[in-house]
Amino acid sequence: MSENNLSMATEEVLRIEHLSINFGGLKAVDDLSFEIRDREIFGLIGPNGAGKTTVFNCITQFYRPTEGRVLFRTKEGRVEDLVGQPVHSIIRKGLVRTFQNVELVNELSVLDNVLVGAHIDFKSSGLAQALRLPGARREEKKMREKAQEVLEFMGIAALQNEVAGGQPYGVRKKVEMARTLMCGPKLIILDEPAAGLNDVETQQLAESIHQVREKYECTVLLVEHDMRLVMNICDRICAISFGKFLACGTPSQIQSDPHVQEAYLGEKEDEA
Amino acid sequence: MEKKKTFSMNYYLRYLLFGVVMSLLPVLTNAGVIKTSWLGIIGGTIIYTIAGLGLNLLLGWSGLISLGTAGFMGMGAYISAYVTGDLGLPWELGILLSVVIPLVFGILIGLASLRMEGLYLGIVTLCVSEVLRKTFDELEPVTGGFSGKQAKYPKLLGIFELDQKGTFILLVVIMVLLMMLTYNLANGQLGRALHAMRGSQVAAQAMGVSLLKYRLIAFSLATAYASLSGALYVHFIRFVYPSTWTLPVSLVIMALIVIGGLRSVFGTFIGALIVYAMPDLVLKNIPVIGDINGLSYVLSGVLIILVVLFYPGGVINLFYKLQSLFTGKRSAERAVETAAGVEENRTEEGHE
Repeated sequence: MSENNLSMATEEVLRIEHLSINFGGLKAVDDLSFEIRDREIFGLIGPNGAGKTTVFNCITQFYRPTEGRVLFRTKEGRVEDLVGQPVHSIIRKGLVRTFQNVELVNELSVLDNVLVGAHIDFKSSGLAQALRLPGARREEKKMREKAQEVLEFMGIAALQNEVAGGQPYGVRKKVEMARTLMCGPKLIILDEPAAGLNDVETQQLAESIHQVREKYECTVLLVEHDMRLVMNICDRICAISFGKFLACGTPSQIQSDPHVQEAYLGEKEDEA
Repeated sequence: MEKKKTFSMNYYLRYLLFGVVMSLLPVLTNAGVIKTSWLGIIGGTIIYTIAGLGLNLLLGWSGLISLGTAGFMGMGAYISAYVTGDLGLPWELGILLSVVIPLVFGILIGLASLRMEGLYLGIVTLCVSEVLRKTFDELEPVTGGFSGKQAKYPKLLGIFELDQKGTFILLVVIMVLLMMLTYNLANGQLGRALHAMRGSQVAAQAMGVSLLKYRLIAFSLATAYASLSGALYVHFIRFVYPSTWTLPVSLVIMALIVIGGLRSVFGTFIGALIVYAMPDLVLKNIPVIGDINGLSYVLSGVLIILVVLFYPGGVINLFYKLQSLFTGKRSAERAVETAAGVEENRTEEGHE
């Protein structure tokens, strides 16, 4: 891989270049480019069906983009094009995501669900695990303690032995977020983190996103419909509509951008 | 009280205790407390448990279906019978080969499973099983065709010739070992990966779980357990016919894990006891009803409906409930235990 081909400014973590994806005749994402800087909380907004989640899926390789590149600075500091890499390898590079409709294992405990997030950090072999060799046991204990720490940080340590499926939506969202923190991520992608949360929970969420950035020294990319939350916590925002780039900038720039107002906020001025 | 505490503290002990109790059965037959025929039935239960553990890993933990268990059990049985009988090789080698060869097929099905879900996977595994059964019919030089094939009780390390009771104890030992292994695997990283795969494929992938790898692992394990149980069967029953390895066997194994408890190691054994042993031990002794043909299938059918409707966790949960009834403070006790465990771990690390 030649370096000059994959160039990125040093402060950038993720760089989307001319990203396009077609579903049949439909262009869900059309020549989209933006970049995210280190330690930034970056928002991706757009009206319903703008292709926000599709962009997420293109970044995490659940979808293969038709065109374009997704450059990412990995945990090791190398710049890589993620396009074409296996989905399950993405987390190893330091990029981890949540899902719009919280995807947890309902039958497992909260703690075990968080431990799923540490999957890639287990080094002991299957045989060592089957025989519970001392190394495997120590590793398991270490990970358990780490998971407890993360749960403590998210404020749900008391629920660690409860079954995840029986928890209220807000807690399940926290569990999912805790799961992303297990792998020592560089970039966390949150797909509608505030959906289904009430005002108080949304407020808590805003705080915890900030805390996550400080404590885990990572960058956050989020898609969100709650404009108040987005304008509150994001350092920069990219607005898209029908898969096309509209504007990118600080919250106030976005709010005053005529294209965004027209496409998105248009008739509902009061929401902005 | 003291004893109860150690009992709940170390799960290895629980399995060992279970193994010791099971090993006492031959002694009880010697003493005339239970009939000798019971040994055969409980031995069969153990064999079904082993195959059930494998299928539980596949169906229970990974959420993948297989209707091919019988085919692989038969394959294991025939290979071991051929290797030890016709080739005159040691029993241990027979067991090894009868696990390794079916494993290749298991991996192939695992590969195919990436492109199939649910019902279709069931159909394909059923087809494989039927092809294998037909092969047992036709491949006479190896399988003996319709007249079946004989095998002997195992001769351990080429020295110790076992009789029926010895083989029974060997079965118990292998089952207990496999239960421990399964428990360890299911409660570690691998088990969580399988859980994640069942819970949500997308989330599993996003967390770094390779679907290909873990589906292959799940199918390999299920195949290995099934073929091992088949190989043990042939050395316990000492006879194998092609007509044994038909769909009902696969269905019975599926029924026993659903009734006993999906994702439960002990539940698998309890399920086998209910589905396999109970009809022979209990139902057949009841006048009139006991004479009905195929009663055991009726029983498993009714039980599946009852369990699925009213007790989705399986019969094993009944035991857990009973247990918590008797030891009311169980959850509190457990919390203390885990705290002690963490403490112990800390000091351990301090020493290193």
